[in-house]
Amino acid sequence: MERDVTPPPDVSCTALAKTFEGGTRAVDPIDLTFEEGQTTALVGPSGCGKSTLLRMVAGLDTPTSGTVEIGGAPPVSTLRQAGLSMAFQDPSLLPWRTVRGNIELALKLARHRADPAEIDQLIALVGLDGFAETRPAELSGGMRQRAAIARALATRPGLLLLDEPFGAVDELTRRQLSQDLPRIWEARGTTAILVTHSVSEAVQLSDRVIVLSPRPATIMDDITIDLPRPRAGPAARSDAATALTDRVFAALSKGMAERSAPMAAQ
Amino acid sequence: MTSLTIHRPIGPAIERRSRAALGPVVGLLVLLAGWEAAGRLLTEAFVLAAPSEVARYLAAEWALMGRALGVTLTNAAAGFVIGNLAAVLLAAVALVWPRSEGVITGLALLVFCLPLVATGPILRVLFGPGPGPQITLAALAVYYTTLIPLLIGLRAAPQSWFDLVRSYGRGRLSTLVHVRAMASLPYLFAGLQIAAPAAFLGAMVGEFTGAQRGMGVLTVRAIRALDVEMTWAIATLATLVSVAVYLAIGAVARRVLLDEPPVILSAPAVTGRRRRRDGWIDASLVLALALGGWAGALWLFDLNPFFAKGPHDVVEALFLAPDAAATRATIGAALAETAIFLIPGYLAGLLAGAALAMLLILVPVLAGTAMPVAIALRSVPIVTTAPLVVLLIGRGALGTIVLVAVMVFFPTFVACLQGLRQAPGQVMSVLDSYAAGPLTRLVRVRIPAMLPAFFAAARMAVPASVLAVTVVEWLATGAGIGSLMALSASLSDYDVLWASVVLVAALSALGYVLVGRVERRVLAIYAPEQLA
Ligand SMILES: Nc1ncnc2c1ncn2[C@@H]1O[C@H](COP(=O)(O)OP(=O)(O)OP(=O)(O)O)[C@@H](O)[C@H]1O
Ligand SMILES: [Mg+2]
Repeated sequence: MERDVTPPPDVSCTALAKTFEGGTRAVDPIDLTFEEGQTTALVGPSGCGKSTLLRMVAGLDTPTSGTVEIGGAPPVSTLRQAGLSMAFQDPSLLPWRTVRGNIELALKLARHRADPAEIDQLIALVGLDGFAETRPAELSGGMRQRAAIARALATRPGLLLLDEPFGAVDELTRRQLSQDLPRIWEARGTTAILVTHSVSEAVQLSDRVIVLSPRPATIMDDITIDLPRPRAGPAARSDAATALTDRVFAALSKGMAERSAPMAAQ
Repeated sequence: MTSLTIHRPIGPAIERRSRAALGPVVGLLVLLAGWEAAGRLLTEAFVLAAPSEVARYLAAEWALMGRALGVTLTNAAAGFVIGNLAAVLLAAVALVWPRSEGVITGLALLVFCLPLVATGPILRVLFGPGPGPQITLAALAVYYTTLIPLLIGLRAAPQSWFDLVRSYGRGRLSTLVHVRAMASLPYLFAGLQIAAPAAFLGAMVGEFTGAQRGMGVLTVRAIRALDVEMTWAIATLATLVSVAVYLAIGAVARRVLLDEPPVILSAPAVTGRRRRRDGWIDASLVLALALGGWAGALWLFDLNPFFAKGPHDVVEALFLAPDAAATRATIGAALAETAIFLIPGYLAGLLAGAALAMLLILVPVLAGTAMPVAIALRSVPIVTTAPLVVLLIGRGALGTIVLVAVMVFFPTFVACLQGLRQAPGQVMSVLDSYAAGPLTRLVRVRIPAMLPAFFAAARMAVPASVLAVTVVEWLATGAGIGSLMALSASLSDYDVLWASVVLVAALSALGYVLVGRVERRVLAIYAPEQLA
C-alpha cells in the first residue's frame, strides 16, 4: 500500500474569502500563491484569520468565495492522495494512543507503511526520546505539540501546514526545534506554510513572510527573506536580518493602526 | 456542538483509588452496625430482620434463593444484551442519519415511559408462560440509559480530531473506527454500568406477573405471607447482586479504558442548534410513528381484539363509549391519588439529594466516604425494597412518598455531588485569591456548576419515580393508578388497562419534557455554555 512521496506542489489562492455563519468576516478576498518547495510564514495579530486561511488551504473549511488550488487541482484531490499534513493549533493527539500510536495512526490513515526505526528517529528529533510509549495526558503542552509536529512530518507530505507549531514550547527548545525541523522538510523539498506569532521565528525559518492585517485578514506586506542559511546564532542578529524583522513589525503595526482607526472614530 | 453533562471523576488516580477503597468499607460498616442494632431493638415489631438473621435465613434457604437468583440473572442478562444491542443500533442510525435523532430519542423516551407495571401483564398475555415478559421488560429497562450517553459519546470528540482524519483524505468510516468508537467507549461503559442493575430490576418486575420461578416470584410470595426475614433476605440479595454487577462492569471498564468511566449525569434536554420548528416536526413524527407502530403491531400479529386494544379502542373507551365518562372518572381519580404520593416524593427526593450534596461538599472528608456508598446504593433495585418500606412505615401515604423520595434521592445526590465537585478549578483559585469563605464559593461557583447535573438527574427521575410509585401501589398499598392497572389486568378490563398505559406514558414523557423546559430556562441564566 506504500505510495511514492508526493511531489511538492504550489498553492494558489484566488480571491479567497471566508465569512462565518454568524457574519464574522474572517478573511477578505485574498490573492496569494505559495511557491513550491518554499517555506512561507503567515504572521498577523491574534484572531485575524490565519487558522481559517490555513484550513481553507487544507480543504477543511469551504471558502465563502474564491478558490484554492494545490498543484493546479482543488484541495480535495490532494486530500484523497494524503498529499498534505496539518499540525493543528491544538495538538489534537488521540488520548487513547501513545505518541508512537498517534504517529502510526497518521501513517495508517495516509496509507503509508510504518517504519519503526523512522518513527523512533522522528520522535528523537522532536526531543521526545523516552516518551514514545507515553500517552498524551502524561505529556506537557509543549511536548504534545512536538508530538503533533512529528506526526505531521511522518507521512512525508508534499504540502506541510503548521499552525503555530511551537506555540507552547519554551524559548530554548523552540530555538532548537526551529533549527532542526526545517532541515527535514527543506531536505525533502516540501512546500510549507507556517503560521506563527513570533516575528523572529518567521524571519529565521522562512523564505517569505506574509503579514496579515487584523480581522478580516488582508495582506499588509509580502516580504522575501533572502538571508543565507543557516540563520541561527549570530546570523539571526545580522543587519540584514534586523532590517527584515523591522519591516515585518512595521507592516504589523500599520495593519493595527489602519484597522483601529475606524473603530476609534465610531 | 453538543454540550456534555458527563463528568470524569477528578483528582489524581492514586488518591482516588485509596479513598475509593476506604470509603465504602467505612460506610458499609456503619450501615451494617446501624442495621443490626435496629434489627435487635425491633425484634418484637416484626418489621425488620437484622443482618445476622438475614445471613442465617440465606444460609438455610440457599437452595431456593440460589435457584431463583439464577433464573432472574439469566433473564436479566438476556434483556441486558438485547436492550443494549438495540441502543447501539439506534445510536448508529442516529449517527448515520442525524436528522432522525430527534425522532429516535423521542420514541425511545415514550417507550421508556411505558409503565412496567402494566406492560408486564400485557406482555404476559402476549408471551404466555415462560421468560418472554421478563426478558422484554429487562431490555426495556436498559436501552434508554445506554442510548442517551452513547449518542453523546459518539459526538464527544473535539472537531480537530475529525479534521485530523479528514486531513489525510479519509471519510466517515475512518472517523467512526478511529475516533468516534473509541471516544464513545467511556460513555458506553457508564451507560452499561447503570443498565446492569436496571436489567435485574426489569426482570424482577416481569416475574411479578405470573412467572413460575425467580426472585420476583419469591418477592410476591414473601409479601403475601408477610414473611419479614424472607423479604429482607430477598432485598439484601438483590442489592448485593446489583452492586456486584455494577462494580464488575466498572472493573472491566477500568481495564479497557485508561480512566474510570465518567459518572453519567445524563444528557442535556436538547442538543444545541436545533430549531423550534424541527422540534415540533419531530414531536408530530414521534406521535404519528408511535400510533402507527402500535396499530401496525396489533394488525401484524393479529391479536385477539378482546385483549389487544388499538389507538381507536382507547379513544373510544375514553371519549365515545356510553361508559366513557365513568372510565375517565375512574382513571382520573386513580391518577390524582397517585399524584398525591408522587409529586411530594419526587420533590422531596430532589431536594434531599441536592441539600445533602451541598452539605457534604462543605465537609470534604464526609463526601469522600459517602460518595462511593451512594454510587453503589444508586444501583440498588429500590423498587424491590418496596415491601420493606411498607413493613416499616405502613401502607399509608407516607410509605409511598418515602419510597418515591428514596428512588429519586440517590441518583440526584450522586449527580449533584459530581456537579459540585467539578466546579472549575480556575474560578475556584480566583475566589481563593479573594479569600472567599466556603459558603461564598458554594453560592457563587459550585451551585451554578451543579445545576446542569441537578436537572439532568431531575429529568431521569421522572420515569423512575413513576415506576416506583406504580410498583408500590400495585404490590403494597392497593391505591392509585398502579393498583388500577393491576386490577384491570386481573379483571380483564383491557379498555381501562390500555387507556391507563397510554395516559401514564404520555404524562410521564410530558413531565420529562417539562423538566427539560425548566432546565433550559435555568441553564440559560446560570450555565449558558451548557446550551451552546
Ligand atoms: N467556526 C467558526 N465560526 C465562527 N467564527 C469563527 C470560527 N472559527 C473562527 N472564527 C472567527 O474567525 C476569526 C478568525 O479566526 P482564526 O482562528 O482564523 O484566527 P487566528 O488568526 O488563527 O487567531 P490566533 O492567532 O489567535 O490563532 C475570529 O474572529 C474567530 O472568532
Ligand atoms: Mg489560529
